[in-house]
Amino acid sequence: MGWVARRIGVSLLLVWIVASIVFLAIHLVPGDPAELLLSSGGVAPDPGAVAELRDRLGLNLPLAQQYVSFLSGVVRGDLGTSLVDEYPVLDEILLRLPRTLELIAAGALIAVLVGIPAGTLAALRRGSAFDRIASGVAALLLAVPVFVVGTLLVLVFAQILRWMPAGGYVPLAEDPWRHLTLLALPALAIGKGLVAVVFRMTRASVLDALSRDFVRTARAKGLSPSRVLMRHVVRNALIPVLTVLALHMGTLLGGTVLVEYVFNWPGLSTPLLRAVEARDYPMVVGIVLTISALFVLLNLVMDLVYAALDPRIRHA
Amino acid sequence: MRTTRRTLIATGAALPFLRLTGAQAQRTPGLLRFGLSAFPPSVQPWANTGTAAATVKLLIHRGLLSYDTKGNLRGELAEEWRNEGAEAWVFRLRPNAVFHNGEPVTASDVKWNLEQIAAERSTAYYRAEMQGIERIETPDERTVRIVMKSPIATLPNWMASYHMGMVSRRSPAGQPIGAGPFVIRSQERGTSLDLVAFDKYYKPGLPKLRALRLVAYADENLRVAALQAGDVDLIEYVPWQSMASIEADERFKLDTVDGPFMYLLFNATRGPLGDARVRRAIAHAIRRDDIVKAAFFGRGSPLEGMPIQPNSEFHDPELSKGWRYDPAEARRLLAEAGHPNGFSTSILATAQYGMHKNTAEVVQQSLADIGIQAELRLPDWATRVSLGNRGQYEIAVNGTSTDNNDPDGLSNLVNGSLSPSYVRSYGLRVPRLEELMAQARAEFDTAKRREIYRDAQRVVLEEVPIVGLAWRSQGYAMAREVTGFKNMPGSLSFFSGITLEETAIG
Amino acid sequence: MRPGTKRLWVPAGLVALIVLLALLAPLLGLPDPVRQDVAQRLAGPMPGSPLGRDEFGRDVLSRLIWGARSSLAVAFASASIACLFGTILGLLGGWFRGLGEFLAVRSMDIVLCFPPVLLALLVVTLLGPGAGTLIMVLSVLYLPGFVRVTYAEVLSARSHDYVEAVRALGASAGRILTRTVLPNVAGPILVQFSLAVASAVVLESGLSFLGLGVVPPAPSWGLMIRGARATMAQAPLLLLWPCLALTLTILAMNLLCDALRDAMDPRTATARPRLRLLDRVLPGLVPPAPNAEAPEAVLEVGGLTVEIATPRGPIRPVEDVSFAVHAGETLAIVGESGSGKSVTATSVMGLLPPAARPVAGAAWLEGRDLLRLPEPELRRLRGGAMAMVFQDPMSSLNPVHRVGDQIAEAIRAHRRGVTQAQAWSRAVDLLRRVGIADPERRARAYPHEMSGGMRQRVMIAMAVANEPKLLIADEPTTALDVTVQAQILDLLAELRRETGMALIFITHSLGVVAEIADRVVVMYAGQVVEQGSVPEVFGAPLHPYTRALLAAVPDGDTAPAGIPGVVPQPHAFPVGCRFAARCPHAKPACEAAPPALEGAGEGRTVRCIRWAEIGAKKAEAVA
Repeated sequence: MGWVARRIGVSLLLVWIVASIVFLAIHLVPGDPAELLLSSGGVAPDPGAVAELRDRLGLNLPLAQQYVSFLSGVVRGDLGTSLVDEYPVLDEILLRLPRTLELIAAGALIAVLVGIPAGTLAALRRGSAFDRIASGVAALLLAVPVFVVGTLLVLVFAQILRWMPAGGYVPLAEDPWRHLTLLALPALAIGKGLVAVVFRMTRASVLDALSRDFVRTARAKGLSPSRVLMRHVVRNALIPVLTVLALHMGTLLGGTVLVEYVFNWPGLSTPLLRAVEARDYPMVVGIVLTISALFVLLNLVMDLVYAALDPRIRHA
Repeated sequence: MRTTRRTLIATGAALPFLRLTGAQAQRTPGLLRFGLSAFPPSVQPWANTGTAAATVKLLIHRGLLSYDTKGNLRGELAEEWRNEGAEAWVFRLRPNAVFHNGEPVTASDVKWNLEQIAAERSTAYYRAEMQGIERIETPDERTVRIVMKSPIATLPNWMASYHMGMVSRRSPAGQPIGAGPFVIRSQERGTSLDLVAFDKYYKPGLPKLRALRLVAYADENLRVAALQAGDVDLIEYVPWQSMASIEADERFKLDTVDGPFMYLLFNATRGPLGDARVRRAIAHAIRRDDIVKAAFFGRGSPLEGMPIQPNSEFHDPELSKGWRYDPAEARRLLAEAGHPNGFSTSILATAQYGMHKNTAEVVQQSLADIGIQAELRLPDWATRVSLGNRGQYEIAVNGTSTDNNDPDGLSNLVNGSLSPSYVRSYGLRVPRLEELMAQARAEFDTAKRREIYRDAQRVVLEEVPIVGLAWRSQGYAMAREVTGFKNMPGSLSFFSGITLEETAIG
Repeated sequence: MRPGTKRLWVPAGLVALIVLLALLAPLLGLPDPVRQDVAQRLAGPMPGSPLGRDEFGRDVLSRLIWGARSSLAVAFASASIACLFGTILGLLGGWFRGLGEFLAVRSMDIVLCFPPVLLALLVVTLLGPGAGTLIMVLSVLYLPGFVRVTYAEVLSARSHDYVEAVRALGASAGRILTRTVLPNVAGPILVQFSLAVASAVVLESGLSFLGLGVVPPAPSWGLMIRGARATMAQAPLLLLWPCLALTLTILAMNLLCDALRDAMDPRTATARPRLRLLDRVLPGLVPPAPNAEAPEAVLEVGGLTVEIATPRGPIRPVEDVSFAVHAGETLAIVGESGSGKSVTATSVMGLLPPAARPVAGAAWLEGRDLLRLPEPELRRLRGGAMAMVFQDPMSSLNPVHRVGDQIAEAIRAHRRGVTQAQAWSRAVDLLRRVGIADPERRARAYPHEMSGGMRQRVMIAMAVANEPKLLIADEPTTALDVTVQAQILDLLAELRRETGMALIFITHSLGVVAEIADRVVVMYAGQVVEQGSVPEVFGAPLHPYTRALLAAVPDGDTAPAGIPGVVPQPHAFPVGCRFAARCPHAKPACEAAPPALEGAGEGRTVRCIRWAEIGAKKAEAVA
């Protein structure tokens, strides 16, 4: 139990450090939220109005004082309100986080469904035409930026074929079918990069597993090729694949910006980007705090999953 | 297991045919879906929060005055207005205007609004202007008499601004109650707004729409795609590269005006840029046609003088060509200023907006041709604003639209006596120009004002407080079925939301 | 040169070509990449501009090549910086542990917690956009990867014998790290480096799209894509070129990375065959008829020759090997490493690595030639009629499955209709049978929870699960300590007695042979040099090699170290007698022609042209 407590302690410390760095950095970055808000649309605001707004938003307080009040808010579970429209930061996060998670999960699902079989097949037929073509496609997927792929997907499916809407979001409860059609394209775009990663990792990992002694043992037992493959090759090869996938999913928590932008998916990355652009300090810090807490949590969960997959770790 | 797989295959196979039943949004009668370029950061009635917010404000609020589709002033809450002497303006309110809470719009409401805008703790856009009010008289509940501290000829233009919406003085804190044609029913922050028609709106038969759905599409390509896919009926800020294809598509209408413009600013405290001859050399060196082509896909026109709309009564064909492209003249002026071989400097713009970046790239090339080596600095917009306000730049690119079509709106950009701002040159004062602009603002006679602005244009051409680069086309695109929506002329383009009250679909 | 390095040339050449093209950009006589000509905006291919012009009328080809310069410079610089600092941090963290480990490794979690785009946004807004900032952001982003890889490798290297040895000699930490550990972790770091470069090229494009990257008008692939996206409808080709350049670069980097991984990995450093797990078609050779004189043999191998395709041509690690083993008999195959013992065994089992295939001979089991059986039938025999126990029980057991499951799996593979529960209880019985205490509990254990001896008992239980007619044990005791060795030998002998199976026991230990075997086959350099009953061969060895082996190992328990010289490599087998170079009795005739296997009495054969002569001399000497 001491290990768990220590682990959680380190995680909290980590989240605190990240939030503090972001708090400090975003305040140091040039640009003034009051000035920016009143300058929207490229006009010059009245300096008196700017000064008044600064005062109202508490931006004239010393940074240390703002930091302390931020921390005490966090302890009470209050992430503050947006400087732009006084909207509670926590509400915004709670509304949008599930959507980003859904997007990442859908992308990961595509990546697993496509990447693992393709990677396994490429490893089994190493050097074959399939291996070469699949590796080429993986490089292509990695290379073509997501904003190009996204635009092409919209062009083909929404504008030319008119099978689905160009973008947006409808809650699942409101219209499940439309929800899924709207999810399809952004999930594909997210899945695009993940497929390539999972494919490459699976291929390498399966190649590695194939050369292991226990695979020879399994064959010596007279197991069918499919059983050798599933139970002894893929099962063992999955561990590193899942680690890498989890790491990438973690990175995606704040990294779905371009996909959300291109498909108008109202996830958590867009408000983060907007908040940085508008220097909406509480919003930036609140979202980053959430993302890093989730990332740490994901690592914790991954360790558990890891232990379930690899008994050697379970008792260590 | 087997059933799951079968279901999956079945749904996969059925995918292409299901769009008929639900993949595409169907049009609801009386509902217009409007694709915004950004979600309004906030819709406070008096503070400036950008052009997307302007559209929303024009839907839920009304001021004393507004503009008709030709750009002329028209009455809103006030049905008539006139000046009494040089200092006083009298507004006569219409009898049937009510706020969304059902209470009539009275003179006391208007007085309260103006006082709030001018208050010490106000963040209103017209705060400084309203602080020029000497006193407000309300002889009866339908008459407002505003007495200014000094003569102001342009007060009606201010009152027509979307920053001057009147709200009920009994509004709960933070929830202003307006008197516009629509009411916000629900919204999702950052995503969309749903509005419904206000049934007691003071114009009979208006609004024609029953409901409006505003959806923000930040990506311009997607905004166009949403229109083409039928997700929305009307979009603003049509990207220039898409205008041709929308025009060619008979399902859609494109409505554009040349309203906003791009221009250059200078930090006169830095090196050679304090010298008007150097600034004039720069003004003559820019290949404005290239800017129109490269940044705006030919959708715009060169701006070779002070930014006064070509269809304005203050426009002067001769003076508006004062800075025509003339590299020889530019080199001569440079040499005269003591820089025959040019000099090194930098151009501040932003990478966040493609038009700023592209304009800066052409300017950089143009300057290189006359020997001025400029390095591009392209931070994000927030930093660019901050650097601009603090004068931490040498040459800067900016784009804006004036508050209205009156040349008085240009004071903001050329008046160096105002506080430093990223929309004005830094440390650059032209006393003669300041004098002329003030004089014109106090002059009620249009013929005399025209003369004063002609002088002002001459001074601008000579002293170059800013360099006009290009008018850019501002476009709305809509489905054929949309009627009554009109892109307002010139710098009033961002006022177009006002015509949504007359818009219908079907 | 190792075969792995040879395959490095193609991808390395491709990467070098791209880099060279970027480096030579100023010398290629390209048009100025920033020179605008708006009149020619979006023009298609034209004289002087084979790829056309971009949205400012700038030459696309020139921008593509100059863009490679900035894109690649950013990618390589950031990967190098991350590599340098990451390796140092990982080395320190892995070596010193404690606080150093905490600071070096945990601090990386902070970086990982940051969304990359936010990190870029913050750094770029603080420092202003530009290549320098971009390099900084990217190197920070890639730092954790290098730290983690190095850290993990150092941890595993620490425990290796060679590091322990150097430590014991009293070398300083710095010296050990740079001289001993670093070269051994270089492989994974290099792979990580090539991954980082490829990924940096992509990220550069994404960040430039957001306006956080290279500052215009300087060309970069990311900026080109950003510009081209706006004109997608007017000039789609503008989008194609930079995307194509990116794809090619990434493909080349990936290939290089794969080749590097293979070259650094000792496991794959030998032959590079195509892995075909599912089909193994054997060439149709004329099989020799089974020996009619000994029809009751469980396994009869005749003239077995195995060929392995290598980059330097085919080699024959096993040539013309014949032997037979009868029910209830133990046959030992002895020889030094590289003598072909294991290859012989695995070819009988049909488990040869894909590059190797039997090209001649036959192996008869229950009237069927194993070498020519189709895979599905062979599979039915494997683990059924014939089973095998391998050398290292740790690596031979799958670490992620319970041992009971692994045994039950072997049972169910051969018996239709056996339920998992039945198979499991049978597995428990088997564990009890091979002498594991508390088998119910042990069946649920994972391999890593058991001792080496216990694991080997599990392997044996698995092998005998289906009562095989033939059990091949390939050095089953080598990895175990002495007392456990004896127990395992006893167990195998006991099982053989009980079940009457034939046992082939492969070993290099003559002591073991004496203890367990009835008959012995001595192999040298892929050939059988002598065979016969154990008492006969040990009592009166006929071949000089057998004699040398016996002489070199007085106590019969350590490896034969007393014979001068080494076993020749398969590609350098001499034409004549393969032992001639090390043989004290060698004559020129020995090296002239390959000696034949000659009969030397009942059930004895020997491959030496002078055996009778030498044997006579020996007899004289003794007399």
